[in-house]
Amino acid sequence: MQGEVRLEGLTKRFPDEVVAVDGIDLTMPPGEFFTMVGPSGCGKTTTLRMIAGFERPTSGRILLDGLDVAQIPPHKRSVNTVFQSYALFPHLDVARNVEFGLKYKRLTKQERRLRVAEALDLVQLGGYAGRRPSQLSGGQQQRVALARALVLTPRVLLLDEPLGALDARLRKDLQVELKALQAELGITFVFVTHDQEEALTMSDRVAVMSAGRVEQAGTPREVYEEPATVFVADFLGVSNLITAEAEADGEGCALRIGERSLRAARGDTGARGEVKAMIRPERIGVEAQDAPGENRLPGMVERAVYVGTAHELHVRLVGGDLVKATIPNDGSVPAFAQGAPVTLHLPADAVRVLAPRPG
Amino acid sequence: MSRLRNPWGRPRGLVLVTAVYVLWSIVPVAVAILFAFNDGRSRTTWQGFSTRWFTGATGSVFHDAALQSSLKHTLLLGVLCVLVATPLGVALALGLQRWRGAGSGSVNTVMLLPLVTPEIVMGVALLLLFLKIFPGIGLGTTAQVIGQVTFTLSYVVVIVRGRLVSIGRDYEEAAADLGAPPRDQLLRVLLPLLAPAIVASAAVVFAISIDDFVVTQYLSSDASTTTVSMLLYSSARGAPTPALNALATVALVITLATLALAFLVYRRFAGGSDAAVAAALEV
Amino acid sequence: MMGSRWTWRLLALPGVAWLSVFFLVALYAVVSVAFGNQNTLSEPVPFWNPLDWNVGYVLTVLRDIGSGGQYLTVFLRTFLFVGVALALSLAIGYPVAYYAARHTGRWRGLVLLALVLPFWINYLMRMLAWINLLGPGGWGTIVLHDVGIERLFIWLGLLSERGGWLDGQPTTVIIALVYGYVPFLILPLFASLDRIDQRQIEAARDLGASPFQAFRRVTLPLSLPGILAGSVLIALPMFGDYYTPDLVCASAKCNMIGNQIDQFTRQGSEKVTGAVLTLLLALVLLVLMAYYLRSTRSADADLRAGEA
Repeated sequence: MQGEVRLEGLTKRFPDEVVAVDGIDLTMPPGEFFTMVGPSGCGKTTTLRMIAGFERPTSGRILLDGLDVAQIPPHKRSVNTVFQSYALFPHLDVARNVEFGLKYKRLTKQERRLRVAEALDLVQLGGYAGRRPSQLSGGQQQRVALARALVLTPRVLLLDEPLGALDARLRKDLQVELKALQAELGITFVFVTHDQEEALTMSDRVAVMSAGRVEQAGTPREVYEEPATVFVADFLGVSNLITAEAEADGEGCALRIGERSLRAARGDTGARGEVKAMIRPERIGVEAQDAPGENRLPGMVERAVYVGTAHELHVRLVGGDLVKATIPNDGSVPAFAQGAPVTLHLPADAVRVLAPRPG
Repeated sequence: MSRLRNPWGRPRGLVLVTAVYVLWSIVPVAVAILFAFNDGRSRTTWQGFSTRWFTGATGSVFHDAALQSSLKHTLLLGVLCVLVATPLGVALALGLQRWRGAGSGSVNTVMLLPLVTPEIVMGVALLLLFLKIFPGIGLGTTAQVIGQVTFTLSYVVVIVRGRLVSIGRDYEEAAADLGAPPRDQLLRVLLPLLAPAIVASAAVVFAISIDDFVVTQYLSSDASTTTVSMLLYSSARGAPTPALNALATVALVITLATLALAFLVYRRFAGGSDAAVAAALEV
Repeated sequence: MMGSRWTWRLLALPGVAWLSVFFLVALYAVVSVAFGNQNTLSEPVPFWNPLDWNVGYVLTVLRDIGSGGQYLTVFLRTFLFVGVALALSLAIGYPVAYYAARHTGRWRGLVLLALVLPFWINYLMRMLAWINLLGPGGWGTIVLHDVGIERLFIWLGLLSERGGWLDGQPTTVIIALVYGYVPFLILPLFASLDRIDQRQIEAARDLGASPFQAFRRVTLPLSLPGILAGSVLIALPMFGDYYTPDLVCASAKCNMIGNQIDQFTRQGSEKVTGAVLTLLLALVLLVLMAYYLRSTRSADADLRAGEA
């Protein structure tokens, strides 16, 4: 049970009545790369800061391997943080920065120096020990911040949008490196980001947050393929949300869209009344006008966008909803251009019923 | 094209005004310094170059008892004031900046009040304080130090707070995260980062103390507690020798040297944070 | 710092205690003496309890002011001196601050240095310099005579006799006040003008305003807070100034309220009346002090918000 974090009923209310975190329950299994993702203001950073100890929860528990640390000050918790701004001490060189926390462990000077060297090698900054933070690039500073935290062998490493300040290519490279590092070390990483793509590519498990609550937590595949709410569906990747009327259909669910009816096999098939039918653009099949078969809807191509890797068709349905369908680019000229009438095939097991959130 | 570059036009007149102002501002002082090196006793007629008023056998800054004593006392007050006002002010700045909740507003106001209180009001108030409430201390060096600390404290607070803002809280949080207890967060991280501002404020306090007049005069007891400012005041309209000019020049050199030194130290270690300087100038 | 909130209050405690005792209590001492009495040895006896207060001395002074007596004259003269000196300071200081803020390229550092320098030169040394120059046979006296300004001033009634610059001339006091305080006005003015976004002025010009109109309708209004703040900043010490008239005039003709207070309190043994006058002065200036504190407090709120 090394490095398991459990949040129980965790709430943070600020003095100006703002409820940043609203009674969330989350389990972060040991040794996993766990990401909290959501738009700014959703409470993910506040949650992270409470785990680190920089904010005191209004109520709830934070269990680190079974021990409630909510009232323990940050310098006594065995979690370490990589800050968004890196927060490298400007008056110390790289080696002294990394060594900073080691002074609180009982080690000889020799041992400390060894550990510092190891940590720097781990992040591939072996020769940089004597440099000052101001002499380093953003990416290098980030690695020093990592080394500084990892050298203390924490059970849990917290990362607060560490890649936010880097340019796109560097970000991609570091994403891979961070993931590899985590796998190698086996430490629990708790990662916070607002970038949903980053969350999906790096994590073992993802928690999607909004307005202080956890909308859904699960593996990347689960939250992407099987979003539980409209918010999650909309936040991760592109999703189409079609207004429909849900009716019983034997044991399953039939969605009435205009005059047509679709069979939906996923999601909240027990819901009745007005719902959203969600389907990913890459699951929609685009066929010629009046193509036969079940789960088909007629529409008109309003725009055809060439995205490089795919063709994106914006199709207006009879009911008024605009739907995006993507067709992979296999080098051929697409069959359907702007203005063309088409039929969209929405396979039953790709359609998810999302009931509106109560209240 | 040149119109757009200079949308407010007519710069020549302003250059002239500024040049005249700068000359008007500095030249009289330059003349006074010049006459400190006058060979004769006159302060208005040039009689040749000499350093007799600085180092000469009689009547010079370095050999006249009264002049020497005033210089020594001025420096003594300056040093003592810095030693008391700086730690007091740094602690107050830290406390005020992080104080959340009731009372911080009033404390802040009280801290700013000495900056806007006319010196004569402070002088009278402190005089009465040491005559009626602390007669045990009474007037003299101690009272002078206490008086000077009371109004230089605010300068330290303003300068240090400016620097605190630009430092932010990240570094302390990082230190805590790495295992540093609050004491170490202060000693190992915050104070080293504050050092340039502390040096700068110490220099400012020293300069203000050396040049202070009203409060120092009001709290002085006898000739032994006379400072350079007080001597300048009492002798100016008499028939003093250029030794007075020399004394003023020496004090000026000390002040400017201190400030220049502090400026260099600040620049070297702070990487040029203008917030504190601007804050100091603002007041 | 992760210490509890009491850590911070504890750190602030020594400073707060110091200011409470050596500032607040000292101010209360003035009040207690003003409402106190004088014993047979001409020493002031403060009455600490408001219920015991003796309004005798306060009433005497107020009656004197009310009936146009000596104190009223001095107060009015002080207002006059400060008013004229302030106006002149603005007339001189604003163009200089304007230039420093908006024009300089290469020489900026040097100009700023020249503007800041007087701050650090002992005020008394600067006055001493003028005494040297304006004394009989001084270079200043000679120049002013040769250039004709002396004659002009005599003709305007601003100077009573040739070469008598330092002999009881209110004019000299005002000029000395301007010389002494204008550097303290220029810097806040400079800061305020420097902060004005150049693009706003360019926009005005772009919309058809002449340079003068752009100044009058954009720059001037935007610099108004700086003008007010700077004016208050130098008016406050000017009101309490006694050493400037003493140095360049040394005659009762130039007595400002500061002189009066100084004569009663430090030089003489009428400390109670001196305390009354000090109290009155402080009350008159309270409005100015409150204004300045309010404008710096909003700046302070920005400081704290900036850190959070």
